[in-house]
Amino acid sequence: MAIEIENVTKCYGRLRAVDGISLRVKRGEVFAFLGANGAGKTTTIKMITGLLTPDSGTITVCGHPMADESSAAKARIAYVPDQPFLYGKLTAREFMTFVGQMYSIERKELEERVADYMNRLAITSFADQLAEGFSHGMKQRVVLAAALLHEPDVLVVDEPMVGLDPRTARSVKDLFRAWADGGRAVFMSTHTLDVAEAIADRIGIINHGRIIACGSLDELKAKAAREHRLEDIFLELTNPQDPPEQQEVAVA
Amino acid sequence: MTSLPATSEPGFNYGARRFVPPSIGVLVRMKLTLLRNRMRQLVDQSPLQLLLVIAFVGTIWAGLYLLFDHIFVYIRRFEEQAIIAMPFVFHLFFFSMTILLAFSTAILMYSALFGREEPAFLLASPVPSRNVVAILYLESLFFSSWSLILLGLPLMIAIGQVQGLPWHFYPIFLTAFLGFVPIPGAIGLMAALAVALFMPRNAKRAAIWIGCIGLLAAVIWWGRLWTYSSSDASRHFVDDILGELSFLKAKLLPSSWVARAIELSIADRPMEAVFYLAATLSTAAFLSWWGHVFVAAKLLPAFGRAYAVPNRARPKNAIFSAIITRISFFYLPKKMRCLILKDVRHFLRDPLQWSQLLILFGLLSMYLFYLPRSRSDGFDLNWRSLICFLNFGAISLILSTFTSRFVFPMISLEGRQIWLVALWPLSRANVIWAKFFFALTVTAGTAIPVTLLSIRSLELPMALAAIQVGCTLAVCAGLCGLAIGLGAIMPNYDEPSASRISSGFGGTVNLIASVLLVVVSVALFAYVCYDMAVSGRLDVVTNASLIAIAGLVLANCGAFLSAMHIGMRRFQRSQF
Repeated sequence: MAIEIENVTKCYGRLRAVDGISLRVKRGEVFAFLGANGAGKTTTIKMITGLLTPDSGTITVCGHPMADESSAAKARIAYVPDQPFLYGKLTAREFMTFVGQMYSIERKELEERVADYMNRLAITSFADQLAEGFSHGMKQRVVLAAALLHEPDVLVVDEPMVGLDPRTARSVKDLFRAWADGGRAVFMSTHTLDVAEAIADRIGIINHGRIIACGSLDELKAKAAREHRLEDIFLELTNPQDPPEQQEVAVA
Repeated sequence: MTSLPATSEPGFNYGARRFVPPSIGVLVRMKLTLLRNRMRQLVDQSPLQLLLVIAFVGTIWAGLYLLFDHIFVYIRRFEEQAIIAMPFVFHLFFFSMTILLAFSTAILMYSALFGREEPAFLLASPVPSRNVVAILYLESLFFSSWSLILLGLPLMIAIGQVQGLPWHFYPIFLTAFLGFVPIPGAIGLMAALAVALFMPRNAKRAAIWIGCIGLLAAVIWWGRLWTYSSSDASRHFVDDILGELSFLKAKLLPSSWVARAIELSIADRPMEAVFYLAATLSTAAFLSWWGHVFVAAKLLPAFGRAYAVPNRARPKNAIFSAIITRISFFYLPKKMRCLILKDVRHFLRDPLQWSQLLILFGLLSMYLFYLPRSRSDGFDLNWRSLICFLNFGAISLILSTFTSRFVFPMISLEGRQIWLVALWPLSRANVIWAKFFFALTVTAGTAIPVTLLSIRSLELPMALAAIQVGCTLAVCAGLCGLAIGLGAIMPNYDEPSASRISSGFGGTVNLIASVLLVVVSVALFAYVCYDMAVSGRLDVVTNASLIAIAGLVLANCGAFLSAMHIGMRRFQRSQF
């Protein structure tokens, strides 16, 4: 199992941002994590990546509990946030090399991988420019390439398609699919429902901190008892007029 | 794209190896690469700026050296007292530095750990959190100790020269200096953690309040010392002051150990100095080690609180700011007032802006409040004219600092919403004027009351009082016009940070132009004060003084009008 989330809760004061969720993401699957703004997606992602600690429950990544073996767990994960972070005064090549060194990749192997991923994500043309001049899409590509350098078993991405041109977006979608087909897992949070529909093996929908639906697109359609597109199912399930309990019943 | 490597088996760790977390060396190398790239870029793209910075630092260094040299030569005149007073200089210096460095490191560490995206990026990687804290701590120490190095080196050379000290004084002094820095640094590190854990929503406000209260306490204490005894530099006066300062020599204070090491080195007792040096270095090493381990252990909860707790407090000053704007800018058209209201709200909700103005003018006001008490029999004519000139200089310098830091970036800060400015139903010239009137009101609204306090403290006659008020107003207009005009001539719409805009090339040019304007204004005002002192009357204005006043007003109006005219033309022609 790539990711195991068991009964995890996270509160900010009185607000239960994540309320007792349990999830399993298998190797070889692309998992799309959907939810409205403030539903608890980013909090869940930050707990998976070890940036936040759950108030209760456990998170395990590739068999390593994040609470007890965080370094080992983090070595198996790559995280690409919605706002890509790059050091402005490093070039793309320097940044990727630095990330590779953080994952203790051998020098020669690192050089080869940097060149390979630069090529795959069309970074070579601006590889030696300072990152402060990059557009959002360029930054996104560099961060993604750097995240893949250590060939993580779990790739966690938050809004991966924002700011990407159609060609790069297509490349990234193909890359996620290929990554999962290679026996790894991709955990993707997105508002772009078309992308989730196109490449996700399973889809989880979170609302008010609770998982209100989880399964393949066909399973969600069957549960919703309608032959709708994902967008319609999502809108129906996350209707703000329905209280959370009722939304869970709707699916169950 | 599809030919990706197959997955690893459970227990995979890059082949057969077990994963070893990276050492801190990886982070240090990355920071050095950042520094190298920044320097290369500066040399390639802004050599003039680099030269100006070097010249500026060199001038400050030389100025400080001359100042310390004069102080020590002066102190040596009072032979008896100098033996007692000299050590207090070091104790006071290092005690003050403990507070300042702890405070500045706390701010830098909080910002580095909880105010930037970098720690989130590093903490999501397998880099141990101890290494993340350690590298950010080293970086903060480096930045916060700049002031100490800037002050310390001229101080060291001045003492060495005046006293004719042996060679071992210099390495002991340097080691004591550098070894001392991590002690307040570790205190600051712990303070940053405490703020993140216990008051993550109000970190900025808490820092400002603590700073204000600390400064106020220091000023009250200093004011009490100043008015403590008689007005002359008699033995009693020195004894009283030294008695008040005796707590600075407490044996448990690390600042005392550093001061003692330097004292012993001056007294040509290097072996004894080494003992205090060892105490300082070992304490610094222990506190830094313990501090960074402790902070790393508590980092995730603190990080979670600082990042995850959203500040959803509704601003409370919406109605107040609307009323203030309506009253203060009643003479402007409604559309301009709308634009100004936005800036007023931004000003009131950014504690950094109003607190800087408040602290600087607050300190000046405290000094002016205590001024009459320092001489129970009042100041004679010469002193009054001299202090009046010094007060004018201090107010002008504070104004130039404020306009360079906060007024200059105002046009640039419209930055990403500049299209909105371009679409407003307000001419672009009026946008510039609105910014100018806002800046003028804020600066004059704070500078004039302080000027009036100065006039009251010195009991100046009407003629000199009117001149001082008029000249202060002229300087306010000159500096604001210069900052707004140059801000429109050299905007940086891509930079969201006001501090970076003001420290960029345009900001540097504005700072130099402002300082030059202040130098000209202060020199002309000095002439007026001198002329009155020489004539023996502060209520009679000679023709020469009138010319000097006219020159001051013309210089400021000229700077204001020319900068505004060129800035407005540039802003009107801009394509967004």
